[in-house]
Amino acid sequence: MTSNLQHEIQMRPDFSMLKVSLEQGQKVHAEPSAMAAMTPNMKLKAGLKGGALKSLGRLMGGESMIVNTFTAENGPGEILFAPGHLGDTQHYRLTGGTLYLQRGAYMANSDGVEISGKWQGAKGFFSGEGLVLLKASGVGDVFFNSYGAILEVDVTDDYLVDTGYIVAFEDTLQYSVSVLPGLRGGGFKRLFFSGEGLVCRFAGQGKVWVQTRYVVPYLSWIDRFRPTSSK
Amino acid sequence: MRHQMLCQPAATALRFELEQGESITCEVGAMIAMTTGLTVETTSKSRGGSGGIIKGLKRMFSGESFFLNHFTAQRPDQSLLIGPTLLGDCVHHSMRGGTMIVQGSSWLASTPGIEIDTAWQGFSSALFSGESMFWVKCSGGGELYLSSYGAIHSIEVDGDYTIDTGHIVAFEDTLKFNIGKASRSLIGSFLGGEGLVCKFHGQGKLYYQSHTLPSLGALLGPKLKAK
Repeated sequence: MTSNLQHEIQMRPDFSMLKVSLEQGQKVHAEPSAMAAMTPNMKLKAGLKGGALKSLGRLMGGESMIVNTFTAENGPGEILFAPGHLGDTQHYRLTGGTLYLQRGAYMANSDGVEISGKWQGAKGFFSGEGLVLLKASGVGDVFFNSYGAILEVDVTDDYLVDTGYIVAFEDTLQYSVSVLPGLRGGGFKRLFFSGEGLVCRFAGQGKVWVQTRYVVPYLSWIDRFRPTSSK
Repeated sequence: MRHQMLCQPAATALRFELEQGESITCEVGAMIAMTTGLTVETTSKSRGGSGGIIKGLKRMFSGESFFLNHFTAQRPDQSLLIGPTLLGDCVHHSMRGGTMIVQGSSWLASTPGIEIDTAWQGFSSALFSGESMFWVKCSGGGELYLSSYGAIHSIEVDGDYTIDTGHIVAFEDTLKFNIGKASRSLIGSFLGGEGLVCKFHGQGKLYYQSHTLPSLGALLGPKLKAK
């Protein structure tokens, strides 16, 4: 059985939806509640994929411990997945390497791909994005989503990305968390007022995917409209 | 310097290609990603401009951040990716002298030839319209980049044109205007949900947005959990 998923990402970038066409017996794995529509012969099985440790890693990486497995039975099937919020979806073909995903970016994968968590240590602590990144490895297809559109950047030299805008990157890139050039040496005040926070510095050769919007500024804006309780 | 609009319209980003020595001033927090040959300088005034702390303070009151970020290319062939913080489109406007009046939160970036100031008080009457909007004045020559919530439309006004005050993104100051009621009677205006409108006359370019943030806030706010 091939682990190649026949797929199409529709309506990019703002209201993207992933359509997967499966042969009889073929499987696709996805995060809970991502399924939007499917043919009646698709059978759902929910479970802790990859055992307790891998599931815990996913949980730490901002995902659910549960992964839903959909199998096409008695003939070919079709299934549609949609992210829980506005935004883009991106496909990546793993050929034995590793792809790192930002918290919550995982959407679906084919057989042959393992999704787990990766402890980032101090780097994660300083980036403010959580201590664990998601890690996809193996051979097969992986799909991830973002808030806003996704841009692919081919890094050949050094490249800086605001930590909030990283969606995914290949493990051929080395990364470190740093301060924007020019703000360094300016002291804490400079860093604070520039509003740019911290950046991730990628070095080496590889691809990084950035999103054009970040959900946190939206949340802090809408917070002003929250009613205040009378207590 | 070249620019390119990407992923329009709902989650638009702007990519700038800068040659050595070129620089651009951006709204604080707009940077998404960049190459390493750019340096960032945070100041309270537009580059080369006058003003300093007083203008910075005025900018703060106008809804823009007190500080501006200047990105300068130290090496050839640098690339900078910026975007507004909320969903919406961006638009590019070339200025050859003259003045643009921009809604406070719509200013995204401009080249160094443009002076950013909030001295302009002409719209103070708009404060009473309940839109809680502030305005910045951009003058000089250069490239101006604006953002909006929703899509941006533009029109070359020649004669009269009426816009709901909440939908204005920017306009050339060659346009004269007055704030008025949408309907003939005051009650009719408010029952019709249109509140106050801005009646422009004269000749000039006008940018307006399809949606407004206060309406979204009013829609979502009551559904959120109380603080």
